[in-house]
Amino acid sequence: MKHSPWRGAGIPTPATPNDCPPVKTRCHCGSGRYAGGGMSETPAVQVNSLVKDFRGSFGCGMIRAVDEVSLEIASGEIYGLIGPNGSGKSTTMKALLGLVTPTSGTCAIFGRDSSKVDSRQEVGFLPENPYFYKHLNGEETIRFYGKLCGMRGSSLRERTEELLELVDLQDARKRRLGAYSKGMLQRIGLAQALVQDPRLLILDEPTAGVDPIGSRQIRDLIFKLKERGFTVFLCSHLLEQVQEVCDRVGIIHKGALVKEGPLEELISIEDQTEIILRNATPDLLHRIHELAAHEEGVDLVRSGNPRTTLERLFLRETVQRDAEADPGSGTRQGSPTDGTPDGCHNDTEEDSP
Amino acid sequence: MSRHPHSPPLFSFSRIWIIAGNTFTHLMRMKVFYFLLVFVLIWLGLNVFKLPHTAGPESVGGEELRLLKAPLVGTMKLFAIIIGIVATALLIPRDVEDRTLYTILAKPVPRLDYLLGKLFGVLLLILAGLTIMTLLLDAVLWYRTQGILTEFNKVADILIEQQQWTVEDRQEARAELLSHGVTWSLQGAILVIFFEAAIIAALALLVSTFSTSTLFTVVISTLSYFIGNFIADGLDHWQGSSGTGEGTLGDLSSRALFVAFPDYRPFKIVDEVLAGQIFPPDILGSLALSTGLYVGLYVVLSWFIFTYKEI
Repeated sequence: MKHSPWRGAGIPTPATPNDCPPVKTRCHCGSGRYAGGGMSETPAVQVNSLVKDFRGSFGCGMIRAVDEVSLEIASGEIYGLIGPNGSGKSTTMKALLGLVTPTSGTCAIFGRDSSKVDSRQEVGFLPENPYFYKHLNGEETIRFYGKLCGMRGSSLRERTEELLELVDLQDARKRRLGAYSKGMLQRIGLAQALVQDPRLLILDEPTAGVDPIGSRQIRDLIFKLKERGFTVFLCSHLLEQVQEVCDRVGIIHKGALVKEGPLEELISIEDQTEIILRNATPDLLHRIHELAAHEEGVDLVRSGNPRTTLERLFLRETVQRDAEADPGSGTRQGSPTDGTPDGCHNDTEEDSP
Repeated sequence: MSRHPHSPPLFSFSRIWIIAGNTFTHLMRMKVFYFLLVFVLIWLGLNVFKLPHTAGPESVGGEELRLLKAPLVGTMKLFAIIIGIVATALLIPRDVEDRTLYTILAKPVPRLDYLLGKLFGVLLLILAGLTIMTLLLDAVLWYRTQGILTEFNKVADILIEQQQWTVEDRQEARAELLSHGVTWSLQGAILVIFFEAAIIAALALLVSTFSTSTLFTVVISTLSYFIGNFIADGLDHWQGSSGTGEGTLGDLSSRALFVAFPDYRPFKIVDEVLAGQIFPPDILGSLALSTGLYVGLYVVLSWFIFTYKEI
């Protein structure tokens, strides 16, 4: 059976640098990198009171794109920044990458001022809808970005092989990028972002325009990166995706960070409790209803069958059907229905009622 | 895999070379060398159609060579200038539009390295194109010169026999004929075309750092080139007729004008070489220096603007 590259070898395992002491916990499923839950002393990302104003049309007036945003992402954490279009997500990312100059405030990556070029050795960036150079093929693209980071010779060759395997583009390695599909471009984009073995990955809408299978592949890869201790700063308005992968979330609206915290804290409804039962009889359900009705101050808000998501249904009806029809071929996309890549994700098959 | 224990250098020739090589390949795969086909077609056309000329019988050979090389050198100049403006104007806006620039500058790549890489890529392409065309031109010109020399020797022998020419006349006419063939002066003139294209490309790079469209960059760079061809004469005339422009202020304003519109007058030496004049080597040095100063100035200004550019 073919081994799915999304679950295979090739994930880089960068070492802990001098300015970033080793973390307390080590992951047993990884290959020597510190675990996702571990925190080093120096945060991966530090944004302090970031303000960015842009000049209005014809130079009249100023438009505030980012307003006093402060956030901190610990090493090994997956952080999701969500917000509507034009809320300042991309500008925050660009300021962090030194692509725009902050009007005021500072940004740092692993303690280094992000406006300095050398801080970018630690960062891999995948912009929204990347195109890259269409005249290059997949292999040349990875090599080009590797060379920009100072990689040469056999180390670059090996790294290119690893990354092509990781993003499952070995078969398309000699194909020009002009002939790549949207999902393939996104995957080669991830490969270039990882080429210099960075510790921080910044992903701006990584699944924009990608079909559900490709989207799942990218999501699985993010899980894999988390396992190996990568820090991921994710920007998306696909809320379900953010909810699935992120440890902490920030909500940005009209340039200001209006809410921030651990995902579980933010989304849990504290005055409600859910109980999911398998094979419950009508009689049992009736008794539960009665118990709730007789308890003072308790309301039974809703009961019924939990629902799966449309994404899971789609994947079950496409990928799994293919896998069942041809069990010997394996599945290149991983197993879409389990929702638990490598057992590191605590999702259930069915959503809560 | 080894990690990156130290900071990357802020200026790296190898990184510039990588970006230049990529730019060169990019432009090559945009099929810009189809221009060479135009060059070959013009050469074939010149061989099929005999161009009319009014020179006397003694200068027929030289005139024929001049009529052969002038359009070909003109095509080479056109190639160098068009590529210098259009290719450079395309590069940065396209990288911004495709977001390729984000992925490059998100790597440890200083903006100066990026700009220099782009410029050198274009210059490499112009140099490669001019080299190929020069080799073709030299081969054609040498072949035609040999044929004309054979004819010339026959005519010269007859004229000497008829005592219409002395041996000195023959030597003089032969030297005149050979001055229209493959000469070092011609190679120098083509190098001057490259210098001119380098200035134009650097200017286009500067414009593209603040321009938001390729068309704007092409129009401004082309205008600057045309104005630069007449600016010095116009300035001389203005200063001569009005008496203004003298003194420190006038001197400063004319210098500022030459920054925006480089004075291409010295580069017209190419036309004189095509007319058969010998290229003075000292002029090549001063033109190289002038080119270096202009390119350096435009790169520094481009760097300054690009550093603060919001991408």
